[in-house]
Amino acid sequence: MSKLGIVSYGSYVPQYRINVEEIAKVWGEDPNEIKSQLQVNSKSVPGPDEDVTTMAVEAARNAMSRWKGNPKDIGALYVGSESRAYAVKPTATIVAAAIDAEGALQAADLEFACKAATAGMQMCFGLVKSKMISYGLSIGSDSSQGRPRDPLEYTAGAGSVAFLVGSENVVAELEGTYSVTTDTPDFWRREGAVYPSHGVRFTGEPAYFQHTVNASKGLMEELGTKPQDYKYVTFHQPNTKFPLRVARMLGFSKEQVEPSLVCRDIGNTYSASSLLGLSQLLNKAQLGDKIFMTSYGSGAGSDSFSFEVTDEIERVQAYQFNVDYYVNRKEIIDYGIYARFKGVLR
Amino acid sequence: MEPPKIWRERRERYLGIGNKCLDCNEKSFPRTDYCLKCSSKNIEEYKLSKTGKILQFTQVTQPAQEHIFYSPFIIGLIELDDGIQVTGQIVDYNYDDVKEGMKVRMTFRILSIDNEEGLIKYGYKFVPY
Ligand SMILES: [Zn+2]
Repeated sequence: MSKLGIVSYGSYVPQYRINVEEIAKVWGEDPNEIKSQLQVNSKSVPGPDEDVTTMAVEAARNAMSRWKGNPKDIGALYVGSESRAYAVKPTATIVAAAIDAEGALQAADLEFACKAATAGMQMCFGLVKSKMISYGLSIGSDSSQGRPRDPLEYTAGAGSVAFLVGSENVVAELEGTYSVTTDTPDFWRREGAVYPSHGVRFTGEPAYFQHTVNASKGLMEELGTKPQDYKYVTFHQPNTKFPLRVARMLGFSKEQVEPSLVCRDIGNTYSASSLLGLSQLLNKAQLGDKIFMTSYGSGAGSDSFSFEVTDEIERVQAYQFNVDYYVNRKEIIDYGIYARFKGVLR
Repeated sequence: MEPPKIWRERRERYLGIGNKCLDCNEKSFPRTDYCLKCSSKNIEEYKLSKTGKILQFTQVTQPAQEHIFYSPFIIGLIELDDGIQVTGQIVDYNYDDVKEGMKVRMTFRILSIDNEEGLIKYGYKFVPY
C-alpha cells in the first residue's frame, strides 16, 4: 500500500558564525540582556561566495544523496525564499540544473516569508496525492538581511533545507495539514529595499502566536489528536523563546520541542527554520513516533502538519551531512569580516 | 560574461560533467568534441567523482578583477576518486590548516558576478571534510 509523505530531506548551514556579544559590542548594547530575551548565542553567516541559490543546491543535493533515487523522477521543484539572488530568474531553474533534474519538470520560486517552503510542501503533497507527479522537492533557503542596529541583526541567519515528498519509501507519513492566512502587516520588504521593516512589538501576539496557535489547534481538532499524542513538535524559530512559549500555550512540554531548537546556534534561518527543526526530529525519531510541526510566515500565515514515522526512517538517519554536522561545523568571525561578507563594505 | 557561454558550460560547472570515449575508454574534463587520446567522436557524457583529495594548493592574493571580492582564496589541484585531476578553489578552510592529501568534496558556490545587474556564474569548488 502506498503512503503519502516525506521520502527524504537534506539541509545546509554556512559555517561562519557571529556571536551576539560581537554585534552588541559594536552598538554598545548589553549582550546578556539580548541573549536572555532571545535565547540566541550566535547566528550563521554565508561566506562571500554563498547565496540563497548555492545554499538551496547544497540542501537539495543532501536530500538527493540521502534518498539515492533518480533526480529525473522529480516532477515538481519549488524554492521558497525572501532573499533570492535574482529578482527575476527563478532559483528553482538553477537548483534543477545543479541536481540534474532539468527537463520535464514543474518549477517555481515561492514567497511567503518564513513559511514559503512549507507552502511548497503542501503543493507537492497535493500533486503526489493526485498522481500528477511521483516526487516533489520543496526547498527553503534564506540569507536574510537585518538592518544594522535593528534587533533583527542579532538573529537574521542563513540556511537551507529541502524536503522530498512522494509515495514510495516514505519515512514519515502525512496524517494531515491545515493552514491559516490573514492580512497582518507584521513584517515586510518593498521591491528594491535592501532591508525588511517590521512592526516591532506588533510581531508577537497578533502575528506569530495567533497564527501558530490557530493553525495548530485547527489541525489537531480536524485529526482528533492532542499534544500528548505526539513524541515531538517543532515551530518556526525566529528566536528560541517564541517556539518554547507557543509550545507551552498549546500544551506541549519543553521536552517535546527542545530537540528541534537549532536557533540558539545559527539564528533565524527564515524559510528553512521550522523545517530544519523537523529534520532534527526525523534524525532522532523512531518507528511509530508522531511529529507535529507548524510553520509561520509574516504577512501572515501558518501551516500545520502531522506526521507518523515509518520503519523506513533508519535508512535515512545514518546520512553523514545532517543538521548536526552543519551546526557543529563553525568558524567564528568578527563584525568587520561579517560586514564584508554581507556586502556592507564594497 | 556572455549568456550563451554560461548556459553551454553549465553542466560542466554545476555537475562536473566531462566525457568518456566509447572506443578507448579515455575520460576527460572539461568536455571536448572528440577523444583527446584516439580522436574518436564516439563519446558520451561522464560525471566526475564528487570526492577526492588535495594534491597541491596555493593561496591567491592578487586575483583577476572579477574575483577580487573573494580574495585571498586557495586554489588547489584535486585528484578525484576516479583518478581525474581538476583544479578548483578550496573553500571554508584557512590556508594554514590545508594539507596535501586532505579529503575534499564538491560544493556549489558563486564563481563570479558580472556587476550589479549582470549574471551570477555558479559552479563547483571544493570543501575539505
Ligand atoms: Zn578514445
